[in-house]
Amino acid sequence: MKASIVVQTGLVLALAGAGCATAAPPPDLLTARASYARVQSGNAATHNPADLHTAKKAMEAAEKSYLDNGDTRETRDLAYIADRRAQIAEARANATRSTQNQQETISDMHSATSSQLGRANQQLAQQGQDMKAKEAALAVEKEARAAAEKRAAQAAADLAKFASVKEEARGMVITLSGAVLFASGKSDLLPGAQVKLNSVAEALTQQDPDSKLVVEGHTDSQGGDSYNQDLSQRRAQQVRDYLVTRGIASDRVTSQGFGSSRSIADNKSAEGRANNRRVEIVVQPTAQAKTSSL
Amino acid sequence: MKTFIVAITTTLLFALGCGGSHPPPTQQMADVQSADRSAIELGAQKNPRASLHLKLAEEQLALAKTAMDDDDNEGATSLLSRAKADAELAIALTREDNAKVQATKAVDQSNAARSNNAQPGAAQ
Repeated sequence: MKASIVVQTGLVLALAGAGCATAAPPPDLLTARASYARVQSGNAATHNPADLHTAKKAMEAAEKSYLDNGDTRETRDLAYIADRRAQIAEARANATRSTQNQQETISDMHSATSSQLGRANQQLAQQGQDMKAKEAALAVEKEARAAAEKRAAQAAADLAKFASVKEEARGMVITLSGAVLFASGKSDLLPGAQVKLNSVAEALTQQDPDSKLVVEGHTDSQGGDSYNQDLSQRRAQQVRDYLVTRGIASDRVTSQGFGSSRSIADNKSAEGRANNRRVEIVVQPTAQAKTSSL
Repeated sequence: MKTFIVAITTTLLFALGCGGSHPPPTQQMADVQSADRSAIELGAQKNPRASLHLKLAEEQLALAKTAMDDDDNEGATSLLSRAKADAELAIALTREDNAKVQATKAVDQSNAARSNNAQPGAAQ
């Protein structure tokens, strides 16, 4: 502000001096005054006060020379130099401002890059955690599967002790001897039968949960057909009901009696008749399992 | 009359003595030449505004050499003071434009980085 007053005073005095001298100020001085006025109102005061001060001193020297000596070569030289000093102050101020803008841009870019890097690292860490969690879940699942397979193998082994398991066109067929499950002519399960059916139920729960089960009752040919049909139906129903109590879904399992119509051995021998007295549990594969097995 | 002639002679001798005693501005000449080289090295010749002042500086430098050859040291000093101001202005203008170019380049880089990061698949 002080600088401005000094220069403005100089300008007034210069104009007064010029008035006294009657001659117009030299063009170099007029040009210098215009340049200095422009630069003074620009960004030099903010971005380059040192060079603006130098320009002010040069301007004052030119004005003083004009006041003291009028339009001399020295006055014109000083005015010429003052004009250049003003332009230099302006150019340097602009350069400083550009450099500041550049640094701010780079700094912003670095900040943006840093925050992106931070986010990427967070994502990576999260992904790492997710992966560990998945691995842990997979290990648990694998362990559970191994345990289930072990139980199934155990159940199958237990089953093999008192039942035969065969794969037929109608599905997997588990055949239980009638003597193991029922007393002669009765349809109530023997106490020992329940233990064996527990193993059967355990084995069946390892099967496809969508598969259907049919419990079939069979007798030998001794006795009337009607009696045998009824007995085989009741025995099949007994087994079916017991399996339901052991966790087999009731809508999965049905029962059917066949009497002596589906003998698998000769009814003339005691051994053949014993083989014919049986309960068969048929595990019917689902449509999907059938397709995939083709 | 005799006194008047003596006075005139003394004045002329004094004036001649003053003119002849102005030292040759060799240091100023070297300063201007140095500033001129710096401006060229910075690329002032490729910058329209700076090249104008560089040309003015070089013209005044040539005139100053001629003036020194003619023993007009005062005239040479005057020309060299103008030449130096022009050479320094050429430097300042070149640096101003260089700084603007760098600032623009930084903005372009920043925009490019931003658009790259905005593309699908980039880290968000």
